[in-house]
Amino acid sequence: MIVSLALRNLKLNKFRTILSMLGIVIGVFAICSMGMVSAGFTDEMDNMISDTADTLTLSPLGEKVVDGHPTVGFSEKDIRNIESATKSVTKEYELVPYYTSYKPVTIGKEMVTASVYGLDSNDMSSLVTLVSGTWPRGGTNVIVGEQFAEDNDLRVGSRVSFLGVSGQEVTCRVVGVMENTGMLTFGIATDSAILGTTEWYSSIVGNNYGLYNSIIIKAYDPTELAAVDAAIEKKMNGKEDRDSDNTVSILNSYELMDIFDELMSMSSLFTTIISAISLLVAAVAITNVMLMSVKERTREVGILRSIGTFRSQILQMFLYEAGLIGLIGAVFGVILSLIVSPIFMMIMGLEFTAMFSVSVLVYIPVGIGVGLVVCLISGLYPAWKAANLNPVEAMSTD
Amino acid sequence: MDDAPVVELIDVSKVYHMKAGDVYALNHVNFSVKRGEFVAIMGPSGSGKSTLMNMIGCLDVPTSGTIKINGVSTTDMSDDELTEHRLNTIGFIFQKFNLISLLTAYENVEYPLILKYGQRDHSERVKKLLTMVGFTEDRMQHTPYELSGGQQQRVSIARALANDPTFLLCDEPTGNLDSKMSTQIMEILSDLHKQGRTLVMVTHNPETAEYADRVIVIRDGEIVGEE
Repeated sequence: MIVSLALRNLKLNKFRTILSMLGIVIGVFAICSMGMVSAGFTDEMDNMISDTADTLTLSPLGEKVVDGHPTVGFSEKDIRNIESATKSVTKEYELVPYYTSYKPVTIGKEMVTASVYGLDSNDMSSLVTLVSGTWPRGGTNVIVGEQFAEDNDLRVGSRVSFLGVSGQEVTCRVVGVMENTGMLTFGIATDSAILGTTEWYSSIVGNNYGLYNSIIIKAYDPTELAAVDAAIEKKMNGKEDRDSDNTVSILNSYELMDIFDELMSMSSLFTTIISAISLLVAAVAITNVMLMSVKERTREVGILRSIGTFRSQILQMFLYEAGLIGLIGAVFGVILSLIVSPIFMMIMGLEFTAMFSVSVLVYIPVGIGVGLVVCLISGLYPAWKAANLNPVEAMSTD
Repeated sequence: MDDAPVVELIDVSKVYHMKAGDVYALNHVNFSVKRGEFVAIMGPSGSGKSTLMNMIGCLDVPTSGTIKINGVSTTDMSDDELTEHRLNTIGFIFQKFNLISLLTAYENVEYPLILKYGQRDHSERVKKLLTMVGFTEDRMQHTPYELSGGQQQRVSIARALANDPTFLLCDEPTGNLDSKMSTQIMEILSDLHKQGRTLVMVTHNPETAEYADRVIVIRDGEIVGEE
């Protein structure tokens, strides 16, 4: 009966109820949609980055002169030094030096540009994953990224050709397809890459006077990366001068992750503040509406009290009202954000399916809970006020 | 316990502290109401009879003196205990009917039962009570706004009887009714008295007071006569 009284009162003042609900709808919508979009975005970023989050990517700094030609790269000696620095920290690691550049490739009659990588056959399996085919051997076998294969209609057995270093056309057979790593990848981004042995790379790009373009270090225990980073830094850089005498630039994926996480948490702090403000406004509106409701129903409260309704029941009745406003408002807010969030996500370039992750959907109960709690808190003072009305005085008001 | 008066006032005073000085709304009042009695409390407005009624109705407690309801003093009762008395021991009938406008006639009578038992009435008690005060089944679903004053007061009598109270407390039960309606309402109250109900009625109307066994006259917070 108490619930039904609360319900009937809300129905009686439909317009006022809807107006006060609107505040909660907007507040919950703000929290939910911003939360969902940023969660979706974070998920996507995490997916992109996490696969390579256990690596250091080393790029060479400083010019070397080999056979009278100026060039940049890692020599065998550099690699030995880096390896010994790594070993000083951990025994559980993989160190993969590789060549990379861009190279035009002819597929049928089309010519496209691809990232090409050359690395030792034995190292391939530690950096990329095959979805079909086999690893390349020798000078005329390559593997291609899944995305690249799809874009150019390639499959295992297809042929691609390059212009080799000595001007001859080198035709190669695609023997495998690599799993996509996403574009935001440290080291080897397979999506639109062609990968082959160092022998193959030398024949179509050259071997850069024996200097590798890059090194990837993988630690089995990612927490050791920071120490490895420091050890290499100490061994390779700033021997004679801290600023100019550097041979290695280290791209630390976990540090980048940290920066990214920090950015995301800042943006989510920002959205939380905006949502909190809108909810505060909603809470003030609901307190106001509830106070009006108490004032209007003072006589009714007096009657209810005089015929034996307990204080706690009056409190309950008004809290039910506030709670109902909160619940219905929050449900509408959540529904609205379920409609709008995917649109925002798609504008930001996310897949529609990003909606269906746990970290996004968790905002449905969170939104409803927050709306409900805010309303109950806003209703607390008016309800308390109603419960503590003097029945005699309350009954004599009109 | 059964011999104890239903209502007993012992040296009851109620003082309102005003800036201009203390106002004695009630000044050392003594009287009691026995089981089965119909007592009218008469007096002009401002005589203190509303204050008296509020205290008998457990809506207020005296400044000094003791009010015993069924032999138990209300002075030190908590708000919840007073509320429980209002729910179980006292049946209120007000001048302005005081029905809950959001509820139908039926639900108004059912309300105290729900408060007491925590569930809807399945015993047909509500229907019996409403039939007793002359309500037809279809009119039970009307809201107070759709009922005349006399009909509203009938609902209010049925509501007062819902929890089978020890006594009925009527505050000017005919004050808002025309003379024909007044007679009908007083007939119902008189019948209830004949069935053994205890009634305490506050009124300033000598005609309605005639239905009572005993009339207590109050003026300026003091009992000035009893007949």
